[in-house]
Amino acid sequence: MNKVTTQWLKCPVVVCLCLTAAVAQGQESKTILGPTNPDLYYGAEALLAGDGEEGVRLTLLGVKHAANSRDRITGLSNLCAGFIMLEQYEIGLSYCDQVLAENDQHWRSYSNRALAYLKLGRLEETEADLQKAEAIAPNARTVKVVRSMLLDATNPVAPLIVIDDRRQAADDDEK
Amino acid sequence: MRSRRLFIATGIVVCSFALAQEEPIVEYVPGDEGERQPLYTVVPAYPEKARRARVEGEVEVCFKVTREGKTSRVAVRRSTNRAFEKPARDAVRDSTYRPLPKDEELSGIKTCRTFRFRLSPVTVD
Repeated sequence: MNKVTTQWLKCPVVVCLCLTAAVAQGQESKTILGPTNPDLYYGAEALLAGDGEEGVRLTLLGVKHAANSRDRITGLSNLCAGFIMLEQYEIGLSYCDQVLAENDQHWRSYSNRALAYLKLGRLEETEADLQKAEAIAPNARTVKVVRSMLLDATNPVAPLIVIDDRRQAADDDEK
Repeated sequence: MRSRRLFIATGIVVCSFALAQEEPIVEYVPGDEGERQPLYTVVPAYPEKARRARVEGEVEVCFKVTREGKTSRVAVRRSTNRAFEKPARDAVRDSTYRPLPKDEELSGIKTCRTFRFRLSPVTVD
């Protein structure tokens, strides 16, 4: 096994991608190591690492070379997330809009667009997108977080903890 | 697998905006006369998940206090929501009471402490 192959196999995620690529290319008897769209893949990696600028740069390249609709939607969704990360909410919105124009069941884009609207102070649109995201993915953690952020913006609360050391009425099992 | 990996980026955006937990407002209601006197009282943290979901709750924790003032046999006696049980139990475990004077006899009676987790509205300008 050569050095390059060994390095790929160190990462389980990449191994899975290798297998996917190998299956896709099976008819031509080719073996491709690594993601089929490296820019998209490493763009997502950069975003995950918190590097918004590099993530957006790579993802833009990845979308440009997207081989299919799924990669394109993935890239656009990540661009929406990336631009929101860079606090460029209007640009982020435009990418979320593109995703939703192609797939109106894409809850992540509803959730991200809700967040962008929230940051722009457009609370009614935030509520509308959150409702759509909740209808599609009621248990998604990110949607719940955006919901709580909207609640914090509209109905902020402060935690209050009462510590009561008085003896309660029913003390029958205390002895 | 690939798309799942790529879509993870979405979550980061939300996390980066997550709010830091603020210090809770604390109210203390002292126990009856003759009870062991608290020395160091730990205030439990309001569980962030519960705060986000606007969930309130109440937990009663019962325990024994040793001669030295440490808590032991800590157990939840009553609770309205499990999310609050661990913070309440941990707070009691880390709290202490004034040591008992040598001439006083150690009572075998359990002490109980009730924690009420509330959310009070904040007025914004």
